[in-house]
Amino acid sequence: MANNRRPEIGSTIAIQKPVFNIILRRLQENGYQIIGPRVKNETLVYGSIENMDELPYGYITEQKAGAFRLIQADHKHYFDAIPGAQSWKQFLFPPCVDLFTLRKNGNGWEISNSKLDSPSYAFIGVRACELAAIQIQDNIFMRPDFADPTYRERRQRVFIVSVNCLAPAGTCFCASMGNGPRVKDGYDLNLTELDDVFLLTVGSELARSLLDGIEYEDASAFMLTTAERSIERAAQQMGRTLDTNDLPELVLKNLDSPHWKEIGERCLSCGNCTQVCPTCFCWDAVDQMSLDGKTTSRTRVWDSCFNPGYSYLAGGNTRPTISSRYRQWLSHKLGTWKEQYGTLGCVGCGRCITWCPAEIDLTEEIAALRKETR
Amino acid sequence: MAALQTTAISISQTNHLLEPNWAEITAITNETSDVSTYWLKFVDPSMQAGYSFKPGQFNMIYVPGFGESAISISSDSEDRDKIGHTIRFVGNVTRAISRLKIGDIVGLRGPFGSPWPVQEMEGKDIFIACGGIGLPPLRPVIYHIMHHREKYGKVTLLYGARTSGDLMYPTEYDEWRKADIDAQITVDRGDANWSGRVGVVPMWFYQFRLDARNTAVLTCGPEIMIRFVIYEALARRIPLENIFVSLERNMKCGQGSCGHCQLGPYFVCKDGPVFRFDALQPYFNVEEF
Amino acid sequence: MGTPDEISMELQKISWFRELEPKHLKKIAAISHLRKVRADEVLFREGDSEDNLYIVVEGRIALNIFVPHRGKVRIYTAEPLDVFGWSSVTPSVRQRTAGATAVIDSLVIGINAEKLRQACDEDHDLGYVVMRRLANIVASRLLVTRLQLLDMFANPESQNGK
Repeated sequence: MANNRRPEIGSTIAIQKPVFNIILRRLQENGYQIIGPRVKNETLVYGSIENMDELPYGYITEQKAGAFRLIQADHKHYFDAIPGAQSWKQFLFPPCVDLFTLRKNGNGWEISNSKLDSPSYAFIGVRACELAAIQIQDNIFMRPDFADPTYRERRQRVFIVSVNCLAPAGTCFCASMGNGPRVKDGYDLNLTELDDVFLLTVGSELARSLLDGIEYEDASAFMLTTAERSIERAAQQMGRTLDTNDLPELVLKNLDSPHWKEIGERCLSCGNCTQVCPTCFCWDAVDQMSLDGKTTSRTRVWDSCFNPGYSYLAGGNTRPTISSRYRQWLSHKLGTWKEQYGTLGCVGCGRCITWCPAEIDLTEEIAALRKETR
Repeated sequence: MAALQTTAISISQTNHLLEPNWAEITAITNETSDVSTYWLKFVDPSMQAGYSFKPGQFNMIYVPGFGESAISISSDSEDRDKIGHTIRFVGNVTRAISRLKIGDIVGLRGPFGSPWPVQEMEGKDIFIACGGIGLPPLRPVIYHIMHHREKYGKVTLLYGARTSGDLMYPTEYDEWRKADIDAQITVDRGDANWSGRVGVVPMWFYQFRLDARNTAVLTCGPEIMIRFVIYEALARRIPLENIFVSLERNMKCGQGSCGHCQLGPYFVCKDGPVFRFDALQPYFNVEEF
Repeated sequence: MGTPDEISMELQKISWFRELEPKHLKKIAAISHLRKVRADEVLFREGDSEDNLYIVVEGRIALNIFVPHRGKVRIYTAEPLDVFGWSSVTPSVRQRTAGATAVIDSLVIGINAEKLRQACDEDHDLGYVVMRRLANIVASRLLVTRLQLLDMFANPESQNGK
């Protein structure tokens, strides 16, 4: 059904699935680099895609503590595979950014700042937990008193196509954290995948202009009800739950608990959890000098509170034991983060559980801490 | 593209992350065997003219190829001509600094962090208890008091070091005393040539008459010393909100962004390094926190 | 040196003597003497018998232990109001475990240790006040020793054996 209207912001339309390719093409024509989930090396990564065919069509993922597997689903959807280790963080807060290069010039140094410009990204398939994570990182990197130039440069040009998540995995608990599986806000387009159509809710003027003249119909009551039911069912299917009641207080009142030592005996301090976490934001800056000492380049890289050198201070580490580092990580995520940024630092995506080689599960650790204090 | 608006937030700010400004080493004062004061001046005169700091704040000093280190400013905040940094050589960056000479150029970012509450303390007695490399961040407070001596009551400095050879700024004590600052010096280990006190900073508290309701206690030094100073201050019934502590943590950015310096909910680089003790108390005795 | 009244006056400058009943203060004043020591004058040497408990009124008294190859190591200085030589009042009396030298011209009160012990034995009310105060002094001296042992101002790299 051809339609020359433009849908209003806040309205929900239905498109035939192949029509989505037109939207992707228009984004490309507008200079966007399309980033979406792709199957690579038997896992799911985020990378450049040209069209929908590259999406993980027909896949879902099986996830549990320390395990991730892509499997073929009985039903065929584009957006039912829960992401792997990667998150959108790597595009907005890249693991490695060149800051500047210095050339020796007499006694001093001549600086050339690295260009801040990056592609304009269009993120396709951002789940509610991931959108919440981006919003948390916005709080960190775009504070009123300090905005990180590299993050800001990337973030302010991102186009976000979010999806309501209908097939949560075994390590998911976004429903407990109050930000999923339904997407709330902060998107340009929000997509709900039904068996035969995509429902699209329009979130921005840009999204509206991209839909100009495409074939769509207004979402019917039946479609909307089906979507609602699917989202509600997904909320019931979370593989994990986390009782967030009194959460910062519970953690901060138990900083001396013997339980941290017990976790410290299992934790390898590998830092996987911080690398896969979509909200972890710690970074370090490192210098690389040429052998002749004439040039040096400064690079910003991800750091982790699990790295022994993270707390290095004049001859020693503030947190020399693994248990103290795990406590730092968890008491930050589920404790002090709230005072710093007004929210908890966890969105319930479950990555830290899935990708922990020691199968440490923060939902279990919090439950254990809660039980101990009873 | 300009016409297209996404939902993403936009904040205008143009600086580059960690971009240093260049400063020249104009003088080096050797303080002890492993501590020297580096006097810096921005290469760009307008930068120097525009730079000011408050007692207790710190700068990030950058040695290209080695990295940055957070160094508290130890000079007079009313001297706009030069910026002093008293540095102990105890890590890669500070050891690289130790190899620099007068005329060499370093990167300088700052000032960062919270200052000592010199204005809020006006009208009060001041008791400064510090040790070792904890005196440099407090020296600007001493200078400030000297410039505005009439605004403060009784001022006592209790300063301790390992040995008499480890004392910072020994030639200045008499000037401080002339300005009616009761400078009391103690060392952990004495020898026959040392005629001053032998003992440790916290335990000399008993010697001083303190007006508990009207005394501000400022402390800086090794964390172990700070703890015992605070135990003594509390035993003398100094209210928590009149005790101020300057802390040290690993710092990379100075802007509360990189995460390293966290202590509980605080970023020591942004919310500190100077804290009022009531803010620190919940985390103060948590080991390895 | 010093009449009992003079001594009593000096003693009353020290806060913890103010807690004593007048009769107790009188008793202690009677077994005490004032002693002026000039700078560098030795008050007692390591190995001497423990005859007196001392209180510094003015000046500074250094406690030293002689260590071969290192000479006299100054482990502590007693300042005005401070008590030293406290082990002379404990039940097992040894000989002096450190020497005491005046760093500057000083005035000290010496209390005859044997007589003080006797007085405390005979009058437990007095003994309680004295022993409680001594415990405080010992605790503070122990804290000083601990903090000195921790070598808290040492360069952390050298402490970590790097």
